[in-house]
Amino acid sequence: MRDATLTLSGARRGPRATTNLGMVALRQAWLLAVNDLRQEARDLELVLTASFFTLVVLIMLGMSFSALGVSAQPLAVPGMLWLSVAFVGALTLSRIFNREREFDTLRAMLVAPVERVSIYLAKAFVTLVILLGCCCITVPGLALLFPAAQPFAERPLETVALVVMGCTAYAGVGTLFAAGLASSSGKNVLLSVILYPLTMPSLLFALVATRSLLEGHASFTTYLGQLTATNVLAFVVGAWLFEPVLVGVPQQRSARRASRRRR
Amino acid sequence: MSADALLSLRGISKHFGRLAVLRGVDLDLQRGEIVGLIGANGAGKSTLLSIIAGLLPSSRGTRTFDGSAEGAGSRTERARFAVVSHTAQTYPRLTATENLELFARLRVQAGVASEPVGTSLERLGLGYAADRQAGTFSRGMLQRLALARALLGRPEMLLLDEPFTALDRPGRALLASVLDEERTRGSAVLLISHDLEALVSVADRIVLLEGGVIAGSVGRGDTADGFAEGVRDLAGKMPAVGAAEAHA
Repeated sequence: MRDATLTLSGARRGPRATTNLGMVALRQAWLLAVNDLRQEARDLELVLTASFFTLVVLIMLGMSFSALGVSAQPLAVPGMLWLSVAFVGALTLSRIFNREREFDTLRAMLVAPVERVSIYLAKAFVTLVILLGCCCITVPGLALLFPAAQPFAERPLETVALVVMGCTAYAGVGTLFAAGLASSSGKNVLLSVILYPLTMPSLLFALVATRSLLEGHASFTTYLGQLTATNVLAFVVGAWLFEPVLVGVPQQRSARRASRRRR
Repeated sequence: MSADALLSLRGISKHFGRLAVLRGVDLDLQRGEIVGLIGANGAGKSTLLSIIAGLLPSSRGTRTFDGSAEGAGSRTERARFAVVSHTAQTYPRLTATENLELFARLRVQAGVASEPVGTSLERLGLGYAADRQAGTFSRGMLQRLALARALLGRPEMLLLDEPFTALDRPGRALLASVLDEERTRGSAVLLISHDLEALVSVADRIVLLEGGVIAGSVGRGDTADGFAEGVRDLAGKMPAVGAAEAHA
């Protein structure tokens, strides 16, 4: 047996233990994300599903729009990129809490001294990693299939920034709703019904930013800034609403309200 | 409320829409006490456990833990609680060690105590399977793994939902001895089970949840006929099969 006690022996109050809420949440989120990625590396459930789905979408887009004129391509390519992100994202989000749902591990997490926001951050991070992995197929694929998508290859830093920002906003909003479904064993159809309208603003910003990148407009950085602001908003709202969505209004808050009413 | 009760429930009610599951539960748990909770299917035992664990807000009533009514569900309080459900709640792709290490590390990051993982596994007789993936475990082994995880934090309050399910005779004996050690250490244990024989062997007191309230209670030494007989009488008050669900 590997010496499991080695890492934790004598760690009754470990040297890295901290009472700072933000740091606790971030460190716990990192542990949870690594745990998820470790399991993913073993069964490749999400990675394989998302990758093959991305490939199918890319091939279909390539076959459908191959005859498109070069002048029309800058209008179509951004749509192809972010539509594939939306599809793969919905697929990923509907499965991101699968392990927790199937083996009831979310409940174990909820009764442990784990910051709830850590669960949100970890799941959003894993979703982001999957989405970025799929973009590693989509973006070069589009650049190969469509001449108008060449700026993706010519301006790699801007392309990476754009893709990371666009996917981050999607993961931030989507994880919140995936959690709602995981906690209430809800119908997956609700995910799409609620998810698409709410991710629409970030997808639209990403779409416009992509178009300006492909057309070489100077306004690209402005759009990227707006996309970043959307990301911040998505994560602040997501982190704020995650606990009520997952477990309802925390009991101590209801108790405080009740005691105020009694007074 | 008993002055030295670790957990005290007063008038706890829970409604799901128009469905009243709990209708004013009063219950005290002392340190170093093991209380068995029995009741028919649908009597609200698991709902009560969720309210105690802070997973579910009550519709009415007061839940006091260690003198405070306002900490339910907080991270500080969760560090002092442990819950073992009737499902194992383990990650099948992770080894037993990895399953426990995750929770131990999460505790340490939160600045609270954690037992060494190896010690917890050995204590529950799983040392030999530490590097095996949990997905290859039998139901009984998973149950013991869940218990090992719960005991990592040396909890003051241990909530167990059907912990004897799937355990063989040696497993039951091991669980009984672990619960005895926890009682000696001063933990309060609330145990939900339909297994009266197992409950009689470990519990100090058994309470019956019926019609959304505590309908009866029997402790060791309460009856002249003996604890086991008293528990059988108490269990005899349970309604016929399906009556509790129909009532709810």
